[in-house]
This record gives sequence, C-alpha cells and structure tokens, in this order.
Amino acid sequence: MNTTFADPADRNSGGSQAAAAPALPPGRTLLTLVRREFWEHRYLWLAPTVVAALLAFSPLIGHAELDLPPFASAENRVALSTLVQWGLWMPLCVVMGFCLSYYMLDCLYAERKDRSILFWKSLPVSDALTVGSKVLVAAALVPLGVFVLALFTHLVFSTVLNLRYSFGNLPLLAFNVREWFKTEVTLFLVLLLSVLWYLPWGAYLLAVSAWARRSPFLWATLPLVLAPLLERMVFGTHYLWHFLNYRSYGIWTKLGIGHGGGHIISHNQVRPFGVLLYDLDFRGAFSDIDLWLGVAVSVALIYFAIRVRGRRDDTAW
Amino acid sequence: MTAVIEARDLSKSYGATRALDAVSFTVEPGRIVGLIGPNGAGKTTALKAILGLTTFSGELSVLGLDPRARRDALMREVCFIADVAVLPRWLRVHQALTFCEGVHPRFDRHRAQDFLRRTDIRMTSRVRELSKGMVTQLHLALTMAIDARLLVLDEPTLGLDLLYRRKFYDSLLNDYFDKDRTILLTTHQVEEVENLFTDVIFINHGRVVLAESVEDLGSRYQQLTLAGEQAARARALHPFYEREVFGRVAMLFEGRSRDELGALGELRTPSIADLFVAKMQEGAST
Repeated sequence: MNTTFADPADRNSGGSQAAAAPALPPGRTLLTLVRREFWEHRYLWLAPTVVAALLAFSPLIGHAELDLPPFASAENRVALSTLVQWGLWMPLCVVMGFCLSYYMLDCLYAERKDRSILFWKSLPVSDALTVGSKVLVAAALVPLGVFVLALFTHLVFSTVLNLRYSFGNLPLLAFNVREWFKTEVTLFLVLLLSVLWYLPWGAYLLAVSAWARRSPFLWATLPLVLAPLLERMVFGTHYLWHFLNYRSYGIWTKLGIGHGGGHIISHNQVRPFGVLLYDLDFRGAFSDIDLWLGVAVSVALIYFAIRVRGRRDDTAW
Repeated sequence: MTAVIEARDLSKSYGATRALDAVSFTVEPGRIVGLIGPNGAGKTTALKAILGLTTFSGELSVLGLDPRARRDALMREVCFIADVAVLPRWLRVHQALTFCEGVHPRFDRHRAQDFLRRTDIRMTSRVRELSKGMVTQLHLALTMAIDARLLVLDEPTLGLDLLYRRKFYDSLLNDYFDKDRTILLTTHQVEEVENLFTDVIFINHGRVVLAESVEDLGSRYQQLTLAGEQAARARALHPFYEREVFGRVAMLFEGRSRDELGALGELRTPSIADLFVAKMQEGAST
C-alpha cells in the first residue's frame, strides 16, 4: 500500500485548469432535468399512453347494434364525431389529473426518502431550476402531451370505428375539418383553464412534498378533511367547506358548463361540440380575479418549496 | 495560491447538541486532507457546511464562494460522495452519464465510460440491480469524470470489502489526484488510508483537536517504546498518552527533541491512528 500511496502531492497528471468553469446554458440543463423527471416518474407518460391505446382500439372489442335515429343525417354525424373527440379527451384528462397530483406530492419527497437528494445536490443545479423543471413538467409538458395524445386517439378511434361500422353510405363519424378544429380549440382552452385553476392544488401538493418529513399523503389530505370538520364543530359554520368546493368546481360554473348539456343536445338534434366556443364564457373565466389570485398563491407555494428544498438538512446523512 | 477552504468560527447546534463549536481550519490546494473524528464529532456537519447543504454561523469560504448562497455555482468546482447509497435506485447507468453530461460543464463522458469499462457494470443496468461495491464504482466513475478542484468524500468505502476499498483508493490516486486538486476525506478506516493523507484534522465534540500537515506531525510528535522499568524516567518528560503492550510501554510526546527521548528507548513517528486514539483519550480525560 505504501508504494501506491507514496507521496501523492508530487503526482501530477496535469490538464486541470484552475479557472472557474462557466455554467452550461440553462436551456440545456433544464432539458436534462425534464428528461430525468420522465425517467423517474414513468407513469407520467405510461399511464396516459396505455389509456389512450385502450380507448383508441376499443371499437374493436364487442359489438354494438347501431340504430340511432338522431345520427341519420350528415350534420349529426359531424356533431357526433366532435362529441367523440370530447368524450375521448375527458378520460385522458382525468387520468392525467390523478397522475399529476401523485407526481406533485411525490417528486420532492421521493428524493429525500431514497436519499438521492445528496447526489442531485452534488451537481451544479440550483434548487429553483430543479423545482422549476418539475413545475414545467406538471403544468405544461404533460398537459400538452396529453392534449396531442387525445388528438391522435380520436383519429385512430374514428378510423377504427368507421372501418367496422358504416351506416348507409356515410361513415358513422363524419370528419369535418372546420368542426374538428373548433372542437380542438375549445378543448385546448378548457385544458388551459384547468391548468391555471388547479395550479394552486398542484403547488400545495408540491409544498407538502418538500416539507413533510414522512407521510406526505396524510399531510396533504387530512387538513383538507379535518379543518372543515373542526370549523363546523367549533363555529358551526361551513366557510372552509364552501371554499374547498369552490376551488374544486367554481371555474366551471363561471364558464357556464353547469348547464352545458343544453348547448349540445336538444330536441333530437345534436350540435357540434365547437358551439361551446361561442356559448361558454371563456373571456369571463380567463379574466376571473380568483383564477389569477390562485396563480399568485401557487407562485408563493412554489417559492416556498424551493426555499425548503434549499434549506432543510434532515436527510439521513 | 489562496486556500481552497477557509473556515472561521463555524458553529452549528442541533437542539442542545453543539455539532460544531467555533471550528476554524484552512485547507490549501493540492492536499489530501483527512478529517478524522469519532462518531458524532461533527465531521459530517462540517462537510455539509462546506458543501452548502446546511446552515451555520461563522465565516466559510470554499473556492472563494459562500456555500450557503452559491451551492449551484460551487458544485461546478466541487464534487462529493456522501455515502454509497445515495444514487437513486431507479437510475440506469447510461441515464446517469447523460444526466451528468447535461448539467455539469466539466463532466467528461468518455472518461466515465473508460472507467466503467474496467468494471462489470453494464450501461443498461439500473442502480438497484448493482451490488454495493458496483454502486460505489459507478459513483466514483461519475465523480472522477468531473474535472473538479475539490473532492469531498465522506466514508466513501463504508460497507465495502477490502478488495473494493483498495481499488477505490488506487483509482482515486492514480486516475484522479494531481497537484491542482484537493481532496477532503473522512473515514473510520484510518489505518488503511493514513499513508494517503498530506494533512490531518482531528475533530472531537465539535472542536478541532489537531490540524497539522503530515510532515509537521513527524517533527512535533514522537512515539517512544521502552521497557517497563524505564517508564518512570520517561514519564518525567510528560507524555500525553501511554499504553502498555506485551510488557513494553508506548508513550506519545509532543514537542520533545529526538535526542532527549532517543536515549530512553526506541523512537519513531507515531501512526495517525495511534495519534488519533491518543488525542481522543487526552480530550476525554481532561
């Protein structure tokens, strides 16, 4: 051993400069961080993809007797196609909602639980950029990905269905570019609105994920159940309960979806989904003060998560 | 050249426990410094402070940066391996390389691949499929591919068998260390690596007990081994530690001349391990 370790100070392989290394461009670092999120949390892309594949090829399963008088006319088949467009988008969004909630609650807790946080922190990435990459994944990349996935799901679903069932000379789902596009725009706006409205929920879960020493799930959910109960028992009021309800569905009432069924189907006639683009109050919903207050609260919660990740050192080291 | 690490009056408490109690030390470039202390002495806290992973009071400059405020900038110049278990279990080897390459301006992928080629680690393996020794090799490969100025290792070989430990330190010295780099290392296996150190810092109860270069240790401390009957004469020269082995007595002296002691018995420079044990017991008895 002595020979191996003899006089290490004289050893010199040369080549290392003492000059400070410049940082990599933040875009490249961010891209790497984002890739890492999809490596670690594979359900973010696996779950929506599997559900989309199941939906897209569902017309191959089973057999349906199609005798639907309302869809005899060509316009109604165009309208039906847009309804299917929405009908396939919806379950994908629900799956995404669950995946993203779990992701936000897990992402900052997981790296402390498996103690890999020390490895991540041994690399020149700031806490703000790390947390930022997670918010970017949850608030932009996954929703956009699911939106595109829904689009393809609809195309495949329509093709498969039309190959299997034809209804007279016309395909059951008639494709009309204009109506298709209007529906996509409507769905995109609804998605955008959902992201903004539910951002505080995600940011709250992220903050709990950064803060909780253990059981982040309980820390995230119990207060939401216990606080309204406590309020009711102590003060006999329901403000918190109403607030939570409002933060869950409030924006959809403002948008006018509560009575949305009437827009689409009435008197044996089906209107294409795209009419909602005019019938719903998008202008009102997007300029709603509570929506943007929620975004402001989210920014504060995300900042809190960044600070907590940077400051805490209860890692088992 | 300016110091790599300059610490003045570092203090940190966890509740009533003082993990660091006004600790001051300096680490010069091109040195391999052993930070040695018993469990709970404050070694890890000191390392965490240096790496910007904990808050503390006092002044600390690492490569001219304040680690509390500039961890991300500091990590471009500093590498650390805190423990063998910290690589995430889901990570694949090639993903680890891609990640480091994507966030670290001084990471050289080819260097890491060259190192890995000499091991049994496959690019497609996940960390959870690797043995403990292989995880350490992987971590070392990632770390050594970074052209850093300061490498901090906290018990890097904990839980590894002797073969892996030997390989680890051989790679560290042969492939990595040079005069522009500084290594700060803590370990419990002091005997195994003591020839590696150029400097040692002993720390106990959150305080620095000794901070010396290995060259200076030789001139400052002497170990005298002598037969039991001559012990009384030697004791008059105030050894700070003595121990009886097989009827002979070993004594440690500080600051005595070699001529003065040489007449009494067999004289040599104490090993770092012996010196450590002596210093820790001296601290305990006073």
